[in-house]
Amino acid sequence: MGRASILVDESGMVHYNVGGKFCVDAVPLKSWGNSLQVDSTVSQTTAIRSDLRQQIRATPGWFRSRQGRRLREMVLAYSFLAPAFAIIGLFGLFPLAFAAYESTLRGLNKIVGSYDGLGNYVKAVDNFIYILAFWMAAGLVYYAGATVTRALLERREEQTNPLPWLLPGALTAVGVALFTRFVYILLPEMLLIPSKLRGQSNTQAAFRGLVMETWWLPKVQIALWLAIVVLAVGAGWALFVNRGVPPDRRERIYFVPFFSAGISLIGGAALTWLTWTEINGAYAEALEQGEGLALWSQIVTISAGFLLLLLAWRLWNSGGDRPTNTGIAMRLFGAVALMAGGWVLIGELPRVISAGDEDWWNGLMATVFYVLGTVPIQLGLALILAALLFQKIRGQTFFRVLYFLPYVAPFVGTAAVFRIIFSNRPTAPLNSMLDLFGSEPLLWLSEPAGIFQMMAGSKLDLGPILSGPSLALVAIMIYGIWTYVGFDTVIFLAGLGAIPNELYEVADIDGAGGWAQFRHVTLPLLSPTIYFLSLYAVIGTFKAFNHIFVLRQAAALGTTDTASIVIFQAFKRDTRYGYASALAILLLIIILAITLINNRIASRRVFYG
Amino acid sequence: MNRNRFWMLAVLLVASLVLAACPAPAAPAAEMEADEAPAAEAMDAGPCAPATDGPLAGIDPRGQTIVWWHQHRGSREEKLAVIVEDFNSNNECGIVLDAQNQGGYNDIRDKVNASTASGEQPASLIVGYQNDQAFYQLNEVLADFDKFIDDPTWGLSAEAKADYFASFMEQGVHPVFDSQRLGFPPNRSMEVLYYNQTWLEELGFSGPPSTPEEFEEMACAAADANGDGTGGYILRDDASAMASWTFALGGDVLNDDNTGYVYNGQATIDAMTMLKRMLDNGCAYFFTEGYPNPEFAARRAAFTQGSSSGLPFYANDMATIAEEQGRDMDVWGVTAIPHTTADPVQNIYGADVMITAGPPEQELAAWLFIKWFTSPENQAQWVEASNYFPTRAGTEAHLSGYVEENPQYGEALALLGFGAYEPQLISYQAVRDAAQTAFNEILQGADIQATLDALTETANDLQEELMGEVQ
Amino acid sequence: MANSALAGQGGTMQETHPAARRAALSRAAIYLVLIVGAAAAIVPFLYTVSVSLMNLTEATGGRALPATPQWTNYVEAWRDAQFSQYFMNSVKITLISVGGALVFCALAAYAFAQMEFPGKSFLFTLLLSTLMLPEAITWVPNFITVSWLGRISPVPWINNWPALTIPFMASAFGIFLLRQFFLQIPQELWDSAQIDGSGHLRYLITVVLPLSSAAVMTLVLFGFVGAWNALAWPILVTTTADWRPISYGLLVFLDEAGALLHLQMAGAIITMLPIVVLYFFTQRHFIDGIATTGLKG
Repeated sequence: MGRASILVDESGMVHYNVGGKFCVDAVPLKSWGNSLQVDSTVSQTTAIRSDLRQQIRATPGWFRSRQGRRLREMVLAYSFLAPAFAIIGLFGLFPLAFAAYESTLRGLNKIVGSYDGLGNYVKAVDNFIYILAFWMAAGLVYYAGATVTRALLERREEQTNPLPWLLPGALTAVGVALFTRFVYILLPEMLLIPSKLRGQSNTQAAFRGLVMETWWLPKVQIALWLAIVVLAVGAGWALFVNRGVPPDRRERIYFVPFFSAGISLIGGAALTWLTWTEINGAYAEALEQGEGLALWSQIVTISAGFLLLLLAWRLWNSGGDRPTNTGIAMRLFGAVALMAGGWVLIGELPRVISAGDEDWWNGLMATVFYVLGTVPIQLGLALILAALLFQKIRGQTFFRVLYFLPYVAPFVGTAAVFRIIFSNRPTAPLNSMLDLFGSEPLLWLSEPAGIFQMMAGSKLDLGPILSGPSLALVAIMIYGIWTYVGFDTVIFLAGLGAIPNELYEVADIDGAGGWAQFRHVTLPLLSPTIYFLSLYAVIGTFKAFNHIFVLRQAAALGTTDTASIVIFQAFKRDTRYGYASALAILLLIIILAITLINNRIASRRVFYG
Repeated sequence: MNRNRFWMLAVLLVASLVLAACPAPAAPAAEMEADEAPAAEAMDAGPCAPATDGPLAGIDPRGQTIVWWHQHRGSREEKLAVIVEDFNSNNECGIVLDAQNQGGYNDIRDKVNASTASGEQPASLIVGYQNDQAFYQLNEVLADFDKFIDDPTWGLSAEAKADYFASFMEQGVHPVFDSQRLGFPPNRSMEVLYYNQTWLEELGFSGPPSTPEEFEEMACAAADANGDGTGGYILRDDASAMASWTFALGGDVLNDDNTGYVYNGQATIDAMTMLKRMLDNGCAYFFTEGYPNPEFAARRAAFTQGSSSGLPFYANDMATIAEEQGRDMDVWGVTAIPHTTADPVQNIYGADVMITAGPPEQELAAWLFIKWFTSPENQAQWVEASNYFPTRAGTEAHLSGYVEENPQYGEALALLGFGAYEPQLISYQAVRDAAQTAFNEILQGADIQATLDALTETANDLQEELMGEVQ
Repeated sequence: MANSALAGQGGTMQETHPAARRAALSRAAIYLVLIVGAAAAIVPFLYTVSVSLMNLTEATGGRALPATPQWTNYVEAWRDAQFSQYFMNSVKITLISVGGALVFCALAAYAFAQMEFPGKSFLFTLLLSTLMLPEAITWVPNFITVSWLGRISPVPWINNWPALTIPFMASAFGIFLLRQFFLQIPQELWDSAQIDGSGHLRYLITVVLPLSSAAVMTLVLFGFVGAWNALAWPILVTTTADWRPISYGLLVFLDEAGALLHLQMAGAIITMLPIVVLYFFTQRHFIDGIATTGLKG
C-alpha cells in the first residue's frame, strides 16, 4: 500500500497500481510494438516467443542447447565489455593494482621502494588495521561458506546437482589467484625498467629490449604458465561439465558460486597470513623494545563491540517480523546490545585510533562532514528543481541554462568569485548582508571553529566531533553544492524524460493530484536515477578535491583538509607514494563498504520499469 | 527528431574518427634529422670541437637539441624566446635550445617525477627549487654541475667563478648527496617591503621605515587615516614571511649545522609578537582574495610584503589605478624588511636550473647554454626582461640604464648583498605548510612561545622522518 | 434578477475558482522556487560577468556594478590568451574522446543491463571501485601506462592525442549512467525484437539507444564539459602547445593577468561560453525520453 507498483503480466499487459487506489489496464506497450513495426497484437506475443524458442533450438552446432545459448550470450557480452574494460583496465584497474602494490612499500620518491608489509597502514591507523584485516578475512571466509551452503541447500531442495562444478570452479579460482601472483611478480620487475634505463641512451629500442628481457625472466614465465595452465584446465573442465548437463532438466550452472567461494577463501587466507606475520613482527619488535603490546585485547574488545552492533541490527530487524510481544522483547535486546556494543567501541576505538596519523583522522572527519553536508542537500535541491523544470512552464529553456551555468564555469573563475563572497573582509558581500541584519561579520573561509561550537558560544566546549565542520568547510560545501546542483539536475531531467507520459495521464484520469503523482509515479520510476546519482555523489564527495583545494586557506588551520587533500599532500608534496597509496586504499575500503550497503538498501527500493 | 539526433551522433563519430586518424605532428622527425646531420660529419677541429683532455674529453656538444622545461609565461616567456633565439642562431656549437613552458613549478615537479617513474626522458634542463633537487637526486636524476664548472675547456674561468655571488652558488650544493652541485642560479628574487612614499609623506613621515618600531607606527597611522580596517600593512602569513622577519630581527630558522629547524628563537618570537599586535590594533589586515597589489595601488594598504618579482605588476597596477581615478600616480618604492640588525638581512630566494642526467653530449650542451645565459650581457638582458635579480656581480654594470628607468628595481638591487636563505632541507615543502598553519594559529590568539616550540618540534620530526625514508 | 444573476455568477465562480486559484497558486509557487533557485545559481555568476566588465579600480574596490562596461577587457583577454589555437585543440580532444566514450560505454552498459554472463555483479563492483581512487594517486601509474604504450605503439602517446583522449573513452560514470537507463526499457521490447530476428547489437542500435537518447545526450554533454575543463592531466602529458587544451590557455592567461581580477573573469567567461551556447541550443534533447518523442520520430 502507498507504493506504486507496476506489474507486467505474461500477456504483456501492464497494470499500474498507483497509491493502492486504483488499478488500470494501460496500453502503452502497444506503442512500443508499433514503433518496432512488429505486426503482432500483444496477446500473440507469448505464442510467437515460444516459436522463437523452437527455432533457436533448431539451430545446429555447439550452441544448440540451453547451456549453449547461454554460452553464446556470455561470449557476446564479454565482447561488448571488452573495449571498455580494456581502457578501464589500463586507466582504472591498473592504478588500483598499482596502489595496492605501492601501499606495501616505503620510500621517498621511489616507485619500487623497500617492502614494508602493513607498515604504511599501521602508520595511518595504528593497530586498527590488524582488526580491519582480520575482519575482512573473516568476512571473505564467511562469504565463501555462505555461497557453498546455499548451493548445497538448493541441491537438497530442488534436486539440482552442484557437485560436478566444485572442482572446475575451485581450480579456476586458483588459476585467477595464480594470475594475480604473476601480475605482482611482473609488476616490480617492469617498474624497475626506468631506473635501468637511466644513464644509458634512452631509446625506444633500449626500452623494448629491457621490456622483453623482463618478460622472459624465468620466474615471470613460470608464474605466467602456471597460471595459464591452471586456468585452462579449470575453464576446460567447466566447459566439459557444462556440455554434460542434460538439456531437458531444470539444471543450474554452479560455476560462479564455487568460483567466487574459491576466490574468497584464497583472498581470506592470504589476508590472514599477511596479518599474522605482521602481528608477529609487531610483537617481536615490541619485545625487543621491552614494551608490551595490547594488540590481542584490542582486537578482541573492538571485535566484540562490532559483533554486538551486528547482533543489535539483526535483532532489531527480525523483531519487526515477529508477533508484538516477542518483537518488542527482541527489539529491547537489540537496543541493549546496541548500547553495550557502542559503549565498548567508544571506550576502546579512540585509544587505538589516536595512535594513528592525526592528520588522516582529521581528514576523514572533515570528509564525513563534507559528504553528510553536501550530498542530501545537493540531491534534494536538484530533484526539486528538475521536477519543476520538467513542468510546462514559460522560460523553461532559460531556467535550464541558468541552473547549468555553475557546473560548466571553469573552477578558477568561480573559485575567485567565491573567495570574494566568502571573504573575511567586513565589507565583503556576505558580511555586508550580515551587517544589514545587525550581525557581526564572520571570517568565513578563514574560520577554523566548528559551526555548532560557534552557535553554542564559547562557554560550552563541544569537542572535535560535536562542534561540527568548521565554518570554512561549510563555505566550501556551499560552493560544492552550488557547483554540482546543475550536474544533478541535468541527470534528473534525463531520468524524468524516461518516465512514460501515459502514466501521468492515467494518474490524471484517476484524479491523483500533483503531489500524489510525484510521490507515487515520479519517485518510484525515478528511483534508478536517484540510486545512480546518490551513489555517484557519495563516491564523488568522498574524494572531492579540486574545489576544496582552490578554496582552502591557511587561516582555517587545516579544518578544510579532507582525506583526499591529505592523500594529495602525501603523494605530490612529500612523494611518499607508499603511504599515500595506503591512505587511498583505506579510503577506497570505506567508500566500497558504503557502496555495498547502499546497494543492499537500493536493491529493495530501486524499481526498474 | 530522432533522425536528427542520429545524424548528430553520426557526424560526431565520423569527425572523431577522422581526427583520430590525423597523422601526428611532424615536428619530432625534423628534430631527429637535425640531431643526426652534424653527428655524421663529426669534425675534431674548429670552433666548439671536443676537448682533447680532461674529464669531458671527446664529448661533442655540437648540434645537440636541448629541451628546457621552465615556468615562465606571458611576457616573460615572449622575451625569453627572443634571448633563446639569439642563442640558437649565434652559438658556434650549433646547439638548438627548445624552451617550453610546462605550467608552474609544481607542474614541472610532477612531470619530472612522472618521467622518472616511467623512464620517459625529462627535458635536459629543468627549473625548480632547491628542495626539489634533493627529491630528484633520490633517483639520481640530476647531473653534477661541478664537473662542467671546473672543466678546463668548457668550464668557468677563475674570474667568472668569483663573479657569481658565492651564497647563490652554495644553495645548489647538497651535503646529503656527496656535496654535489645539483642546481645553478640563473636569477634570484627577494622578499621586500613595498611602500607608498606619497602617502607616507602626507601622513608626516619622511620616508620608508627601517626599524620595526617605525614600521608599526607608520602602518598604524595609515590605518587610522583610512579608518575602515584597511590602510596599514597587508599581512603575508606564509613561511617565507616568517623567515624574512626572523632574519630581519637578527635570527635564523635553521640550526647552526644546517641540519634542522629553529622556529622558536627570540627573533621569531619578537616578530610574531609584533605582527600579532599589529593585527589586533588594526594596523595590519588580511587580504585573502588574491594578490595584494591592487589593494596597495588603491591606497588600501600603505605596506605590502612580497617577492621582488612582483615589481612589474605593482608598477602596472599603480599606473592603471591612478589613471582610472584621474590622479597623479603615487610615488612608491621597495625597501628592506624593517630590521633591528645593523645592516638589513634580506630573504633571497629563487629557483635554480638543473641538468638532468642523460647522454654526456646533451648534458654538456645544456651546460653551454647555461654558461651563455648567465654571462653578464645575457643575464642583464634576461633580468631586464623578467625583473629578476642577477646572480653575478658583473651583470650590474650592464644594468645602469634599466635601473634609471626603474628606480624601485634599483632600490632592491642595492639590497642584493645582504642575503639570507630559507632552509634547503628535503622536508622544507612540508615544513612550510606547518609553519604557515602555526603562523595563523598565533595570529588567531594561540600562545606564541608554545606554538613556536611545537612548530620546531613538528618541523624537526618531519625532517627526521623524511631522512629516515631516504636511508 | 440582478440578485439571482449575481448568485448565478457566484455559483459558477465558486465552481471554477478553487481549482483555478489552486492552479494559479501552485504555478506562482513553482515560479517562486525557480526564481529563488535561479537567483542563487546566477548571482555569483552575474557578479563574475559584472567584474569582467569593470576597470581595475572597480574590481579592486568590491563594487557591484561597473560604471561603464569595459568591453575591451574581453578583447584584451582574447588577444593575450591566444585562445584560438587552444580552442581548436580542445574541440579536437573533446570530439575524439566523447565519440569513443559513446561507443564503448553504450556497448558495456548494454551488456550490464541486458545480458547474462558470469561475474556480472563482480565486474560491475570492480567498475565502480575504479571511481573510488583519489585522482592524485592515479596520475603516476597512468603516466607510466601512456608513456609505455607510446613506446610500443606506432603513434606517440605523450604530447599527442592518444594520451589526451583514449583514457577518457570509457568511464565507469558513463557505463553506470547508461546502464541505469537501459534497465528501464521494458523487457517486452527485447522479446519483440527477437521475434523480429534482431540480435543484441541491432536491438541496441535501433531500439535501446534511441529510447535512451536523453541519457546518451547527457553523457555527451558531461564528456564535453569534462574534456573542456580538464587541466591537470593535459599539463602532465603535453609538452608543447600542439595539443594543449583551452584550460591551459586560461591558466597561462590567469598567470599573466596576475591580480587583475577583471581580466581573469573575462578569460573565464570566454572559455565557458562555447559549452553554454552548446547547451542552450541542445537542452531540449536532454529530456527527450521515451515519453515525448522516443517512439514517434
